[in-house]
Amino acid sequence: MLIHIFNGLVYGALLIVMCSGLALIYGLRRVVNFAHGSLYMLGAYLGYSVALQSNFWVALLVAPAIMAALGVALDRWGFRLLQDRDPLSVVLVTFGLLLVIEDMVQTVWGKSNLSVPAPAALQFSVDLLGTPVPAYRIGVIAVGAAVALGLTMWLRLSRAGLFVRAASTDPVTTAMQGVNTDALSAFVVGLGTALAGLAGVVAAPFLSLSPSMSADVIIDSFVVVVVGGLGSLAGAFIAAMVLGLVQALGAVWMPDTSVMLPFLLMVGILLFKPAGLAGSRT
Amino acid sequence: MSSLSVSRLMMLTVLALALGLGVSMLVGSGTVLSLLTQATIYAVFALGVGLLLRQNGMVSFGHALYFGSAGYIVAIALQTHAMAAEWAILVAVLGLTLFGFVIGLVIVRVPGVAFGMLTLAVGQMAYLTASRSRGLTGGADGMSVEWPNTLFGVSSNLLFKPASLMLISWTVLVLLLLGLALGLRGRFGAITEAARDNEERARFIGIQTLVPRAAVYALSAGVTAVAGVLAALNTGFVSPEALHWSLSGVALMMVVVGGTRVLWGPALGAAIYFLAKDVLGDHAQHWMAIFGTALIVVIVFAPEGLSGLLNRLLGLKPSGGAGHAGSASAHH
Repeated sequence: MLIHIFNGLVYGALLIVMCSGLALIYGLRRVVNFAHGSLYMLGAYLGYSVALQSNFWVALLVAPAIMAALGVALDRWGFRLLQDRDPLSVVLVTFGLLLVIEDMVQTVWGKSNLSVPAPAALQFSVDLLGTPVPAYRIGVIAVGAAVALGLTMWLRLSRAGLFVRAASTDPVTTAMQGVNTDALSAFVVGLGTALAGLAGVVAAPFLSLSPSMSADVIIDSFVVVVVGGLGSLAGAFIAAMVLGLVQALGAVWMPDTSVMLPFLLMVGILLFKPAGLAGSRT
Repeated sequence: MSSLSVSRLMMLTVLALALGLGVSMLVGSGTVLSLLTQATIYAVFALGVGLLLRQNGMVSFGHALYFGSAGYIVAIALQTHAMAAEWAILVAVLGLTLFGFVIGLVIVRVPGVAFGMLTLAVGQMAYLTASRSRGLTGGADGMSVEWPNTLFGVSSNLLFKPASLMLISWTVLVLLLLGLALGLRGRFGAITEAARDNEERARFIGIQTLVPRAAVYALSAGVTAVAGVLAALNTGFVSPEALHWSLSGVALMMVVVGGTRVLWGPALGAAIYFLAKDVLGDHAQHWMAIFGTALIVVIVFAPEGLSGLLNRLLGLKPSGGAGHAGSASAHH
C-alpha cells in the first residue's frame, strides 16, 4: 500500500516539473504548447547522450541548459512573431513542432528503448516504514518539491517574479508600465522549456526512453493543467500530486478502469468547473 | 457557402462521378488503385474533421475516436452475428452520429483550446480501452472484420477488387461533398456560421446556438464514421491504431494544409498528403518532420490553406466559408 502511495508521489513530482513549464508558458504567451511532451522527450535523450559521455550529474545540468537556449529561440522566432494570431493557429504550430521533434529524436536515437542507469551515488535503498524504496526515487520527489518551492518563492518574492505575475494577468498594461515583456517572455519560455528538459533527464532512470514517452506524459500533463486551472501554478502542483496518486492507487484498486480515471477527472472538471480547481487568474 | 448554383453543383457531381468510374476502369495497377482508395478514405475522414473547423471553428484532436469506433462496431457486430452487415454499417454510422450529438450537446460549450485538449483526452481514453481490452476485440492486436459473401447484393468477389473499392470510396466522397454543399446552403449553414463567428451576438439576435453547434459536431462525427466503415471495407481489419491520437493529428494536418474555406479543401489536403508520401518514397520515413514543417509553413504564410491559395490564384470569388484555423475562436 505504502509503496503505491510512494510511487504516486514520484510520478506526481515528475508531473510538477513538466506542468510548471507548461503553465508558465501558457501564463505569459497564452500558448498551450502541444510540443511540451516532445521537448521533455528531447531533454531525456539529450541527457542520455551527455550521461554516456560523462555522467548523470553533468547531464542534469547540460541537457536543461541546451533546452533553455532552445526555448528562448522558440519564443523569439516562434511565439513572439505569432502573438497576434488566434490561439488555435499557434496550437497547430506547436503541433507541427511536435511532429518535427518526434522525427528528429527517432532519426538521431532510433526507435528502440534506451535506458539510463541511476547515478551510482543514489543506487541504494532506503527503508520507508518497513518498505525498501530506491533512493533515486526519493531524489525525484526532492526535485519536484524544489521546483515547486523555488518557482513559488521566485514568483512571490523577486522583482522578476512580480513582472511575470503582472504580465500573466495583463501583458499590455504591464508593458505600458515599462516592463520589457518580450524579454520576460523569452526568459519564461526558456525556463519552461528547461523544466521540460529537466523532467526528461530526471525521468530517464526510472521510465525507459522510447519514442512514445512524449505522448503518455503530454496527455497526463494536459489533464493536470486543465484540472488545476490553465496557467495556475499552485493548481498545477496540487493536480499533479492528485493525478500521480490517483494513477498509482487506481492501478491497484481497479486495474481495469484505472487508465480512464485521469480522463474522467479532466472531463468532469472541464464540464463542471471549467476554470479548474484553483480558478483561472484571467 | 458555395457560390455555385445548384445546377452547376449537379453538373460537377456528375463529372466527378464519371471521373471516378473512368479512373477505376482505366487504371490497371493494383498499387495505384489502392493508393487512390486510401487517399479517398482519408479525404472523407478529413472532410469530417474539416467540417467541424469550418462550421464550428473547433479543432478536434480526437476524431480518430469515430474513425476507429465505426470499424470496431462493424467488426463486433459481424463477429457476434448480431445483425446483417448492411445493418451493422447503418448502425455504426447512425449510432456514432447520434452519440456525437449527445456528446456534442455537452462538449461544444467548452471553448477554444480546452476543447482540443478535451477531445485529445477522450480519444486517448478510447484508444487505451481498446488496446487493453481482451477477448472479443483482440486488444492491441486488433480484430479482423468478417465481411459476408454478399454486401448490398454485390458478391464479395466483385466488391473487394481494388477497382471496386476505389469506385465505392470515391462515390461516397463525392456524394458526401454534394450532400454537405446542399445542406449548408440553407438556414442551418448560416446559423452555424453566425454562431462560429460570434456566438454571443448570434444569441442576442435570438438564435438558439447550442443545438446547431451540437448538430455540426454530430455531422462531423458521422462523416468520420463513414470513413471508418470504408477503411474496414478496404482493409478488413481494425486495430487500436485506428483510434490513436496520431491518426487524429494526421487528419487535422490534412485539414489545415488543404484549408477549410472551401468544402473540398480537406479532401485536397488528404490527396496532397498521400501524393507527397508516394513521391517522397524512401524519404517517407521522415514524413513527420516534412509534414510538420509543411503544417507550420502553411499556418504562418497561407492560413487559408492550399485550397484558399488555389482559389485566390485562379481569381475565384472567395466563398464565405470558414477562415483559417479558427479565426473563429478569436472571440472565445
